[in-house]
Amino acid sequence: MSNVLNNAASSIFDKYAILQSRVDLMMKIGKDALGLKFDDIVSATKGKIDGREILLAGTNNYLGLTFDDDCMKAAKNAVDKHGTGTTGSRVANGSYNEHIQLEKALAEHLKMESCVVFTTGYQTNLAAISGLAGDNDVIFMDADAHACVIDGTRLTSSSTIRFRHNNPEDLDKRLKRQGDISDGHALVVIEGMYSMFGDIAPVDEFVDVTHRHGGYLYIDEAHSYGVFGPTGCGIAEEQGVLDKIDFISGTFSKSLASVGGFCASRHKEFEILRKVMRPYMFTASATPSNICAALMAVEKVKEGHHLRKNLKTRSLQLHSGLSEMGYDICADASPVIAVRRPNEAVAAMEWNWLIENGVYVNLAVPPGTPQSSSLLRISLSAAHTEMDINTILKAFSNLKSNQQELMARMSARLAK
Amino acid sequence: MSKPTRKEIHNKICELLKPYNPKNHPIKESSGIMTDLEVDSVAVFDLVMGLEDFYDISIPMELISDIRTVGELSIAVKELIE
Repeated sequence: MSNVLNNAASSIFDKYAILQSRVDLMMKIGKDALGLKFDDIVSATKGKIDGREILLAGTNNYLGLTFDDDCMKAAKNAVDKHGTGTTGSRVANGSYNEHIQLEKALAEHLKMESCVVFTTGYQTNLAAISGLAGDNDVIFMDADAHACVIDGTRLTSSSTIRFRHNNPEDLDKRLKRQGDISDGHALVVIEGMYSMFGDIAPVDEFVDVTHRHGGYLYIDEAHSYGVFGPTGCGIAEEQGVLDKIDFISGTFSKSLASVGGFCASRHKEFEILRKVMRPYMFTASATPSNICAALMAVEKVKEGHHLRKNLKTRSLQLHSGLSEMGYDICADASPVIAVRRPNEAVAAMEWNWLIENGVYVNLAVPPGTPQSSSLLRISLSAAHTEMDINTILKAFSNLKSNQQELMARMSARLAK
Repeated sequence: MSKPTRKEIHNKICELLKPYNPKNHPIKESSGIMTDLEVDSVAVFDLVMGLEDFYDISIPMELISDIRTVGELSIAVKELIE
């Protein structure tokens, strides 16, 4: 009887009580940063919230191609020709011609033997990492790896060792400590540009360490494909080691202005993974409009020197402007500029204030951030103009000068 | 170097936990690392890297996900050393 009573008194949601109190705190301060509602998105850099226009500076739309005429036309044509959805997986329902075309286009661009496209970027790492690493293999993962890399390691029974962020020497030490892996291999997983701080991996050094130990190097270029390298292949191309990378993954939802992902390999045997990767096999394939928009965007990436040039100029402009104001920025200039704030409450208050003052950035808090940091994270776009950056700088300058009033307002809201 | 005792490992964990415990929660063997001490999941893995380096051992992430308390962590470290 008492058990029945206990069960009645408790709830399946009780385990989220601490999380709920964090959300309640955020809602006292202002909006829900993990559930922001836009009235409208009208261009690569402009949207509307609460009826007011807002400058978008947190969308990862690095090349600004979401409103590119050719990409939009390609998506519209795909709907006209092939309909709205694929209604099943490529394993069960087969591939559309455009899925194959996109895989060929990406493999050619990256000069890789094989390429597989996936329905989302998240599923890409989930599928490829869990498919590559088997029972006897050992995954060595950068400490700041994205959640989809971590979740990929959880989908396999192989062991996972974490090494210190962007530190090839630390990887070397951990590979040595592991010693010979009997009947298995080391799979080293890094990223090109890291999403939260915008810092860049020394990929060339990771290639050296990984291959010296007989391992395979997997690099996620989700935030760097399209943005870095002479033809936009990413950080590995920028550092001249693209041909040494064993596996390179990326997403369509950033530079490629669509939704989906890819993993390419210099090993043609990678094709066999199509028969084992569960997040590839047991989900519907990407829609024709997503695939055709990405296919057009790959062409734009290849010829996108002017876009990359503007993006770099805007990144330097914003980085130097914020630095001059005395803001603590987490890394050198890149399209991701993360401003470190003292704690979650202050960051949340400032994030709301920026929205009220016409600038949308990301609020990033632990555990989604390295070093338990609370960040105002900005991601820039090639579509941003010099004036847009000046608008962001002005907002951050006003944020500084209004700090006292802002903190008083926060105390008042929290006291309610 | 002789093999460390459970007590020594516990003390080392307490030392490495310090930067992640700004509210100075008392650390006991039974303390839940994420629950009682409010250490976030990423910080737990950072703490583990410190233990790996100090004792020159590999502590796989899948092992950590089953560990809830400071005492369980010290037992796991001791077993790996031995």
